[in-house]
Amino acid sequence: MNTVKEASGAVLDAEPYFATLQEPAFALEFRRKALAHYAELPLARFEKSDLSKRNTHAFSVLPTTDGHSSAWRSIADTHMNTQDQHPLIVIADGRVVHVSGVDQLAPQGVIFCSLREAVTKHASLVQKHLGTVVPSDENSLIALQSALWRDGIFLYIPKNVQLTQPVQLLSVTTQGGSGTFIRNLIVADAGSQGSFLDSYVAPSTLGDELQVGVTEVVVGDGAKMKIGTVQDFPRKATNVLVRRARVLRSAEMNWVVGEVGDGYTVAEYGSLLEGEGSVSTSHTIALGAGRAHMDLTARMVHIGRFSESDTSARGVMQGKANAVYRGLTQILRGASGANGQQSEKLLMLNPGCRADAIPMLLIDENDVKCGHAASVGQINEDQLFYLMSRGISEASAKRLIVWGFVDPILAKLPVDIVRKAVEDVLERKMA
Amino acid sequence: MANIPELKISGLHAEVAGKEILRGVDLTVRGGEVHAIMGPNGTGKSTLASSLMGHPKYTVTAGKATIDGEDLLAMSVDERARMGLFLAMQYPSEVSGVSNANFMRMALNSKLGVGHEVPVLKFHRELQGKMKSLSIDTSFAERYLNEGFSGGEKKRNEILQMAVLKPRMAILDEIDSGLDIDALRIVADGVNSLRGPEFGLLIITHYQRLLQYIIPDRVHVMMQGRIVRSGGRELALELEARGYDWLKDELGIVDETVSANA
Repeated sequence: MNTVKEASGAVLDAEPYFATLQEPAFALEFRRKALAHYAELPLARFEKSDLSKRNTHAFSVLPTTDGHSSAWRSIADTHMNTQDQHPLIVIADGRVVHVSGVDQLAPQGVIFCSLREAVTKHASLVQKHLGTVVPSDENSLIALQSALWRDGIFLYIPKNVQLTQPVQLLSVTTQGGSGTFIRNLIVADAGSQGSFLDSYVAPSTLGDELQVGVTEVVVGDGAKMKIGTVQDFPRKATNVLVRRARVLRSAEMNWVVGEVGDGYTVAEYGSLLEGEGSVSTSHTIALGAGRAHMDLTARMVHIGRFSESDTSARGVMQGKANAVYRGLTQILRGASGANGQQSEKLLMLNPGCRADAIPMLLIDENDVKCGHAASVGQINEDQLFYLMSRGISEASAKRLIVWGFVDPILAKLPVDIVRKAVEDVLERKMA
Repeated sequence: MANIPELKISGLHAEVAGKEILRGVDLTVRGGEVHAIMGPNGTGKSTLASSLMGHPKYTVTAGKATIDGEDLLAMSVDERARMGLFLAMQYPSEVSGVSNANFMRMALNSKLGVGHEVPVLKFHRELQGKMKSLSIDTSFAERYLNEGFSGGEKKRNEILQMAVLKPRMAILDEIDSGLDIDALRIVADGVNSLRGPEFGLLIITHYQRLLQYIIPDRVHVMMQGRIVRSGGRELALELEARGYDWLKDELGIVDETVSANA
């Protein structure tokens, strides 16, 4: 039963892999159950993304990369600043290769370590929350990821503790075919505050690669969490990403998402607003070039009374990029007094690209407020003329306009070097 | 090449969305001269300004326009600007996320060329001085380009850009609309400070009021997409006193707008 289809099409037993992990029973049980779901579930289906045309077998059960490779360093360079003192964990091809600045967290009782380490050292905390926000049987690829997850981070902020600087995860995939399965678990206890930033990068030469990423967040009563997440995998990658938070009473969850890769991406991020008076925002930048496919959903589910959400997205598409941006605001029965707002603006730089903004409001309660604004357009001709009329070349003028378009969201990314890295991506794509 | 700029327009025809607006404009403006184009609404004045600058909505269908003997119409919009042409617009665009100061520095550097960029500190010092002389709050330097500016602030910002870029040939398209008398005087002072043999100016306006502050050498009246009467400053005064009807009667024009005879 515990078998999984590999890239070769052969059927393999995952037990030998599990045996290498030396994890406690609950963690192995979690993997085995997920693997069973994977065997039963049909390939994950998405309305606007047909994964049957992608190589969803571009992974191996056993990670194949050798542990001595230092190939990750040159790729990671532009995303990490060793001068920075903030806590940083770097994972390359699923293994932790760099840890810095985490000791300073200990006096406050904050835990920031790899998730693999946490399942042993902080078993009860992990066991309590793992899989509670993103169920393993949500779809076949989430099931696969839940079974084979390589590593990721665990962040725990105790009650009423405020993190003064962001903590960062940088995940580097150096070569394709092994599968990038990074899983994060973040628990912000009642009244705490913190910010986390994760980036997923790979070289442009990356071969076929399946990336399935899961981030689960629990924001306790009155806690406040900010997460900036950046994904930049190249064109041969197939990326399925779920970033989801449970937001409890009077808690706040703020997402900043940068989808800047040229691969085939289906990503969902957002919050389950379970608590009364809970709040969540999400701000997205999508930069698509080449043949990038971006199927992005910002999902806010209002469950608690007087819960509020605000999502905004700015997308810039060029080349033959194809973007679907869905703002999904669900207000469940009982969430009276809820307020969900969304806006989507997509900019298309040339005729070859395609962009759809789909605002969706699913409302099952009377006493609510909801609003949306969506626009898809090209660069404003008058703006371009205005800038050029002062002597600025067409290319520079376009760059200025695009820059101005995404800058308000870019400015929200919590770590300078990552913001800089996204700016570099934008510069590169506009060149 | 002489340092005296020359903008020469001959037999210019232009259309927008398939409709002919300009029907043979002839005009020459040289450095040191101030020309004013007056005329009622809808006679093609702004179309002339936008066509000369190269707005993509306007298509020149016949005629010529040169700056310093070079074919203006063959140039892209930014090339025209770098040749020294400047258009202070009636409705300047707002560009979010782009600071006013950075925009102007970029524009100035585009003009100066690679290797000749203005040092950042020097630029900001000069910019602050120019903002003060135009009574623009220096906080406007860091605000997004024209975003949330009032009508009058936008107009002053246009003149600020002109003062920074020091064009050889400037067109002011209804720069006076929406300005109160104090702002009008400040804008006029700013424009007058640029006057000199290496600066030619074409002012488009409805009203004679602006011309009390910026004294024109030549005044032209536009109707039905062409210049129908030219004269000295006294023509503006006469139009102010008598309106346009006497001129229409004299010329046998019933409808002065370009919709006539379309």
